[in-house]
Amino acid sequence: MSLFILEVMKWFLLACAIVCLVRMFLGPTTADRLVALNILSSVTLAFLVLRGVVQQRVLYLDVALVYVIFGFLGFLAIARFLKDRLNDEEAE
Amino acid sequence: MTILLLVLILILGMFTLLSKDLLHGVIALSAFSMLSALLFYLLQAPDVAITEAAVGAGVSTVIYVWAIRYTERKDSSE
Repeated sequence: MSLFILEVMKWFLLACAIVCLVRMFLGPTTADRLVALNILSSVTLAFLVLRGVVQQRVLYLDVALVYVIFGFLGFLAIARFLKDRLNDEEAE
Repeated sequence: MTILLLVLILILGMFTLLSKDLLHGVIALSAFSMLSALLFYLLQAPDVAITEAAVGAGVSTVIYVWAIRYTERKDSSE
């Protein structure tokens, strides 16, 4: 029963990821795409942890940890870039 | 599952190549490396997935955004 629920959750998370990707392709502004990327990262993190629970291997949780730390670095860089651009546009 | 992920990775790569706004391309590239890390993980290579997540999703995004900050954001080539 619990394996069945984990399997259902796997496909559910994949559907969430596809919806996020649609927003990433269509999103009119850069902020939309950035939020979509952020949510995609969270969904992937949930997927990795789920997979680690199913396979019962601790190494898989390390992947999720490293992944989310370095992903956050990337979002921070893009968000800082957007902030600087907004400040420049206000100054002009 | 693997085939679905490969199709998504292909679409993201094409979007990265074809987008005129380079920042959107960088965002798509970050998602690309994210999904390829997931693919390595599903193919039971967690150490490769760790490296891909660290280098692809983190460091290369920072470097690309850093480069765009000092150059042009829009792709002006026709």
